Amino acid sequence: MSVHVFGIRHHGPGCARSLKAALAALAPDIVLIEGPPDADTVLPLAADEAMQPPVALLVYPPEAPDLAVFYPFAEFSPEWQAIRYGARHRIPVRFIDLPQTCRLADRLAQRQQAQAEPPDEPPGAETVEATAPPPEPEEAEPPDDLTRDPIGVLSEAAGYSDRELWWEHQIEQRQDPTGLFEGILTAMTALRSHAAPPKEEEARREAHMRTAIRAAEKEGHQRIAVVCGAWHAPVLAERGPAKDDAALLKGLPKAKVAATWIPWTHSRLAYRSGYGAGVASPGWYRHLWQARDRAPIRWVTDAARLLRQEDIPASSASVIETVRLAEALAALRRLPMPGLAELNESILAVLCQGAPAPLKLVRQRLEIGDVLGAVPEDTPAVPLQRDLETQQKQLRLKPSTEIRTLELDLRSDTDRARSCLLHRLRLLGLDWGKPARVAGAKGTFRESWTLHWQPEFVVALIEASIYGNSIEQAAEARAGKAAAETADLAALTELLDRTILAALGRATTTVLERIAAQSAASADVQQMMKALPPLARIIRYGDVRGTESTQMQRVFDALFQRAVIGLPAASANIDDAVAQALIRDIGAVQESLDLLELAQPKEDWRALLQRLLADEGIHPMVRGRSCRLLFDQTALDETELQRQARLALSPAVAAAAAAGWAAGLLQGSGLRLLHQDGLWVALDAWIDQLTPEVFVELLPLLRRAFSDFTAPERRGMGEKVKNIAHLAAGLAAPGSRPDGDDDIDHERAALVLPVLARILGVDRHG
Amino acid sequence: MSTPAPANAPTADGILRQHAEIQFAEELAALAEADDKAKPPNWMLSPWAVRTYLLGGKLANGFVVQPKYIGNGRLIEIAVATLATDRALLLLGVPGTAKSWVSEHLSAAVSGDSTLLVQGTAGTDESAMRYGWNYAQLLAEGPSERALVPSPIMVAMRAGKIARVEELTRIPSDTQDTLITILSEKTLPIPELAGEAQARKGFNVIATANNRDKGVNDLSSALLRRFNAVVLPVPDKFDEEVEIVSRRVAELGRALELPAEKPALEEIRRVVTIFRELRDGVTADGKTKLKSPSGTLSTAEAISVVNGGLAYAGYYGDGVMHAGDLAAGLTGAVIKDPVQDKIVWLEYLKTVVRERDGWKDLYRACMEVVD
Repeated sequence: MSVHVFGIRHHGPGCARSLKAALAALAPDIVLIEGPPDADTVLPLAADEAMQPPVALLVYPPEAPDLAVFYPFAEFSPEWQAIRYGARHRIPVRFIDLPQTCRLADRLAQRQQAQAEPPDEPPGAETVEATAPPPEPEEAEPPDDLTRDPIGVLSEAAGYSDRELWWEHQIEQRQDPTGLFEGILTAMTALRSHAAPPKEEEARREAHMRTAIRAAEKEGHQRIAVVCGAWHAPVLAERGPAKDDAALLKGLPKAKVAATWIPWTHSRLAYRSGYGAGVASPGWYRHLWQARDRAPIRWVTDAARLLRQEDIPASSASVIETVRLAEALAALRRLPMPGLAELNESILAVLCQGAPAPLKLVRQRLEIGDVLGAVPEDTPAVPLQRDLETQQKQLRLKPSTEIRTLELDLRSDTDRARSCLLHRLRLLGLDWGKPARVAGAKGTFRESWTLHWQPEFVVALIEASIYGNSIEQAAEARAGKAAAETADLAALTELLDRTILAALGRATTTVLERIAAQSAASADVQQMMKALPPLARIIRYGDVRGTESTQMQRVFDALFQRAVIGLPAASANIDDAVAQALIRDIGAVQESLDLLELAQPKEDWRALLQRLLADEGIHPMVRGRSCRLLFDQTALDETELQRQARLALSPAVAAAAAAGWAAGLLQGSGLRLLHQDGLWVALDAWIDQLTPEVFVELLPLLRRAFSDFTAPERRGMGEKVKNIAHLAAGLAAPGSRPDGDDDIDHERAALVLPVLARILGVDRHG
Repeated sequence: MSTPAPANAPTADGILRQHAEIQFAEELAALAEADDKAKPPNWMLSPWAVRTYLLGGKLANGFVVQPKYIGNGRLIEIAVATLATDRALLLLGVPGTAKSWVSEHLSAAVSGDSTLLVQGTAGTDESAMRYGWNYAQLLAEGPSERALVPSPIMVAMRAGKIARVEELTRIPSDTQDTLITILSEKTLPIPELAGEAQARKGFNVIATANNRDKGVNDLSSALLRRFNAVVLPVPDKFDEEVEIVSRRVAELGRALELPAEKPALEEIRRVVTIFRELRDGVTADGKTKLKSPSGTLSTAEAISVVNGGLAYAGYYGDGVMHAGDLAAGLTGAVIKDPVQDKIVWLEYLKTVVRERDGWKDLYRACMEVVD
């Protein structure tokens, strides 16, 4: 009877390869792995052919799925290789770590306590913890360097500045695995003898692992293979008396937990996604695992092919030079073979010719790589699914493949929660409900949905479960990802709207930050102006769900300032179509400002409009519009309006420009303009002097300019035109008003009198 | 990225600036003596010793080598490895990132000779890259080896040394392409003599070029392919850059005998902050993204802005540098393109400078200059 302890690093391809060889040599009759025994029930699924790493084991309390703990496995994870070995040889495989029933019980208790007290911590902290890594030496509060970072101490002793690098060179890139695990055991024994004894949870975990090994021995297994993190190896090899461990494990709390497998991705394995004990370069590890020999050459060739796909020249000659440089660098740094750092540096210097952008591509596509795992169909439901089911039950929203309509009144709590859920699901790509137009209802508190459940949604849920374990969490993460992936301001504003509807506070913040960042980088003034109205609406009417409006205000201000600075340049040298679009956006900005009633921006805006109006280089339509907006805000008086009109419509101005100016000025409802006789006189004079050909040419533009006028306004204008000669005369000789009586249509005037009388409260006949 | 004073500077009388191999002769000798590793053919030192020469270190016998390049040592390793694999080295970077300095010291350490230099200008012609003729001799004797005037590159080829080409992108494209044959075939044909100059082992080329300077002669991809490119970055850390600026400003101020007081560190920090933020396109706290102007905004320019401010304060102000004295220089440094850069600068002033505590004076001063 013998126990063999293999100390490994999680996700170490070198360890995995050595372990595979060692297991083959040992031919154990049972494999014990550092992992949650709670998952033993779903462990057999790992043998299923449909199970494709990267996958993660998920252990979670059914009533609080967001506390779930993930144990990710990649193809190159030693644990995965051990599981597969067991499955292939039909020998028992067992997880021996302290069960999550105990560990999660602690966390659940903590949470209940926290809920009893006022929460002073954003829920985010908890999520990070939930996705925190399985057992690692560096977890828990570090009493000293040695316990926190044992490998760091070793690498320092070996003269390495980077702790990862030392392990990488010594263990993962080792060609000959003989004696590797003995070496690791010796090194770790030496380290542990100087380290402080393990604290509470770690002590209990090690005690549990030892107990499990003893149990396997008792069952009569002859060759027991134990696969665990290197740090734990020494204390599992030297097990000591059983009763100490039994004492440690006595009376632990227990919580109900469930376990399942979910597909995982390489990017989630990487550090980047904030996953603690991940690996920085899963793609590189996979490469090391798959390409046994000439890994550097294959790597550079892969990179070159990738660059070629993206139309970046990468010749074979350059590949050769890259490999040569990498090898020279490795020699200079006294390494047995080039590592990822050397390869990256060489690719940058030769293939990318010093430009960092293509290297980023290599980092994303090769170093991390886009690999998505798969799990067999009969895998138990994921927590996300359960969360949805719970919410469906709570909100009495039954999934049905029948299409039906749902009317919501957002003033009721239940309906608001329903709306929230549907919006969140939409963010996750589950269009169970589609918003329908509210027919005839007034106010913003009504929502109408068309509900249609489709069976494929289950698959979508499993896919979405990599984003989180509750609908809220997942939707939030998904929205955050979408925000990071798009650079388009309009799309981002739309996303903002959706996150607000879905009541995702943190995602809203993320999107807002992204909008702020993108607006700084963007030179597209129109996009910025388009983003303003939704923001203004949210700031003005508030957000029922209490999104932080000061932040919105800040983003709004920044966007607005940038738009103000960029607008003059954006309105010069453009054609009519662009100008038309631009004045719509200018109008939108004006509306937003009117909505917000902020003094300083309004003043800045007026100053800008004045500038636009005065600048001859600006497109005439924009100038006309500026004139109109200034007039509407009474920042321009009647005399000035007349002067501007005469100026813009004087014969010296090209006909097309003058028409554009007029179009810009006249668009939109024009009640106030109607009373500007001077304007009409100027316009009349201008039209008079047009040649017939030019007039015909300009007609569509002018017609469009008047199309926004309401029927009474148009009629009123017709009247004006009829009397234009009078008006002109009146203007020419101020003081002598035209004889008004002749202008009045007595019949029509009489129609108004009864109403007027009632309004004024006089008895007409009295 | 600074250029520390040498431990030993044997200056011959009257020479303003010594070549690296003379100035640091003692270090090179000590390194050669302690060097027991394999040297590529015709190298004076092994690649390891070259690395130590540039990055500094202590030799086994206790001799201390001063660092020549302060910054990312891995970049120097790539440069040395490039030379060791017989590939030409292209050092890229904005002005003031010690490209020429590194190139000079690499050649001094590898070949013991940093003088085989072609300074690239718009007027550099083929004879500067290949060979020219001594016309008196040519007329008297006809084409002959004696009438031939070899370029520094040809000399380097024959001697198996390193040739340096400074500011490669300023050289007209057709002249640049002369290097292609030299780098790929390692020979230089001399049709007039029906012969050629073949490079001996140890020959290589280190070129420097400015990678932000648009509008000059971009390298053809055929030529670029023959180089390994190493980009030398601007100073990594804020304090490092402030230190470089203050030291250079103090030196220059003394040399020009400016009447103003030594600049307040606070003003220098502000200038460096503005330069770094605009250069990086993000504020120092990492919270706000910014547009970057078209100019390089190198450390060297920050030095000249502070210097300009000092001169202004000294001659026209009260002798102490204030925001107002800096505004014109700052604005001039940022706005290189009158339309786009002005937008960038205005945005920066309005969204960042205006909001920052205690920067109101600078905001007002700059707005006055811009508008």
